[in-house]
Amino acid sequence: MDTLLSEKNRAVRRSVRSFCDEEVYPIAREIDREASFPWEVVEKMGKLGYFGVQVPKELGGAGLDTMSYVLVIEEISKACASLGLCVTVHNSVAVFPILTFGNEEQKRKWIPPLARGEKIGAFCLTEPNAGSDASAIEATAIRRGDRYTINANKVFVTNGGVADICLIFARTDPEAGAKGISVVVAERGTPGFVVGDLEDLCGMRANPVTSIRLYDCTVPLKNLVGKEGMGLKIGLAALDIGRTGIAAQAVGIAQAALEEAVKYSRQRRQFGVPIARHQAIAAMIADMATQVDAARLMVYRSATLRDRDKPFSQASAMAKLFASETSTKVTDMAVQIHGGYGYSRLYPVERYYRDARVTRIYEGTSEIHRMVISKGILGG
Amino acid sequence: MSDLAMGSNKTIVCIKPVALSASGGAARSADSYELNPFDRPALEVALQMKEKRGSPVIVLAMGPEPSAFVLNEAMAMGADAGILLCDRALAGSDTLATSTALGTAIQNLRPFDLLLFGTRSSDSDTGHVGPQTAELLDLPLVTGVYSIDTLENGLRVERRIDDFREEYEVPFPAALTIQSGSVRPRDIGLLEMVPAFEEKELLTWRLKDLGLSPESVGEPGSATAVISLSKAQRARTCEFLTGSNEEQVDRLLSRLLASGLL
Repeated sequence: MDTLLSEKNRAVRRSVRSFCDEEVYPIAREIDREASFPWEVVEKMGKLGYFGVQVPKELGGAGLDTMSYVLVIEEISKACASLGLCVTVHNSVAVFPILTFGNEEQKRKWIPPLARGEKIGAFCLTEPNAGSDASAIEATAIRRGDRYTINANKVFVTNGGVADICLIFARTDPEAGAKGISVVVAERGTPGFVVGDLEDLCGMRANPVTSIRLYDCTVPLKNLVGKEGMGLKIGLAALDIGRTGIAAQAVGIAQAALEEAVKYSRQRRQFGVPIARHQAIAAMIADMATQVDAARLMVYRSATLRDRDKPFSQASAMAKLFASETSTKVTDMAVQIHGGYGYSRLYPVERYYRDARVTRIYEGTSEIHRMVISKGILGG
Repeated sequence: MSDLAMGSNKTIVCIKPVALSASGGAARSADSYELNPFDRPALEVALQMKEKRGSPVIVLAMGPEPSAFVLNEAMAMGADAGILLCDRALAGSDTLATSTALGTAIQNLRPFDLLLFGTRSSDSDTGHVGPQTAELLDLPLVTGVYSIDTLENGLRVERRIDDFREEYEVPFPAALTIQSGSVRPRDIGLLEMVPAFEEKELLTWRLKDLGLSPESVGEPGSATAVISLSKAQRARTCEFLTGSNEEQVDRLLSRLLASGLL
């Protein structure tokens, strides 16, 4: 599969893998246990360019291709899925929309600190009554003079507890239905900007997922990204690349589970031989490896299409669906191979199992993805 | 031979692509090599000098085409240009022939201030190449350098060897081998990846570019030859002590005493 990668891609992967082996994997267990955000490591990652993988050099990023980006996400997620989540959400659904739909002034103001990881980005779409049906959001951003007054209750915001620059999806024209939704940037610290408590989640525990509430929070009109009414278009464009990132993340978690399962099955002896010598276990390892490879190929295809400026929305949705489903299957098999120890916190596979589960839910559930994919095939 | 337009105060760092496994005959790709870990501190010293003195850094390596990426990686760390000495005639070079090739290339890169090497390599561990190359170039050499202070026209360096600290002053141009534990090499970030692979200059010099005859390098130019290479086998046995806990402890103690370990 490596033949699909350029020398530059491989160098990117080697460098991120080496950093993650040294700095990320050793803390992953502890930060999951304590639900803490590792600022020190995040700062280092910022200096190394992980928060601006595809941001052009002149705006402080690494200016790399999508293939490099998915390799970065896979490698970080393999070591610590919570940090992989932080980086993929930041790059794909916070930085990308500003980079693509923002004007020059907005890019110059927000992108360099985001690209250096000095400021963290968040994507605030989901609400208590609007998830899969994004057009049902109730948040409002009403124009008053030269400012928007925003009222919003956003939930399950990835990076919420640490985000400085938040893309708020809100109705600028409450009468206009889906066409009245816009994206407005609200910065932490603005009066009326309130960060809620940490969500007590099953996995991804080192990511500070919170609610973000805006109470009569006013921001200048120039914080509007794109034009009024473009909200859903921006959101969907961001999710196209976001989904490839989540797929890469799912592959990273699955790869970690596979490697642990291989290691354990060679060490653990039952009936006088390592359990890897039992056909039932060997067959599981074969299925795991095959599915991880297939998922990775789909991620690479999506990244390659995007790098060649070809439509990649369908490929991205398929990669996300397949990789997330694969990740939950593969991590489940890794737990099974570990037996009772797999169900214990002594081994990392229980973390992979918990972390993998949400990849089928966020940035579009598997059900929504099947809907999107089938529409692409059947039309309508 | 392309002339790298760089300042006369430049630093040249010799880095070695080392094979990750000693499997002979297998087709080698980029993933079969890594940048010799003992050379990374030398590169780090050069990059710190660059930050302090503005002295550009050229990395020089000798190896087959697929090993060129170690130069790209060094450029991703901050080196300004890379040169790969690559020619079939160089295959089979021992440390003397390697020094001949490196020395000739470096001669072509004069003037420079500093020539840096690691102390040894992770694959052959001779520690010859730095000192031999310095000798061929008639440069003052300090080995095992632990720390460096910049003087107006030279360096004050500290060498640590056998629990002794020695201080030397050396004028430019000078050659140093850098102690591996003396600095922590920086992580390779993403920010310089695109320049390292697409913008910075990576030259390949053949034997004819160096003006060397095939007899002076490779096996003909070598003073030594490796007759055979095999993995050293160490006999390890495992023995289970039986009996009650007290008996096992007694047996263990008597074994340790008999073997002189206690």
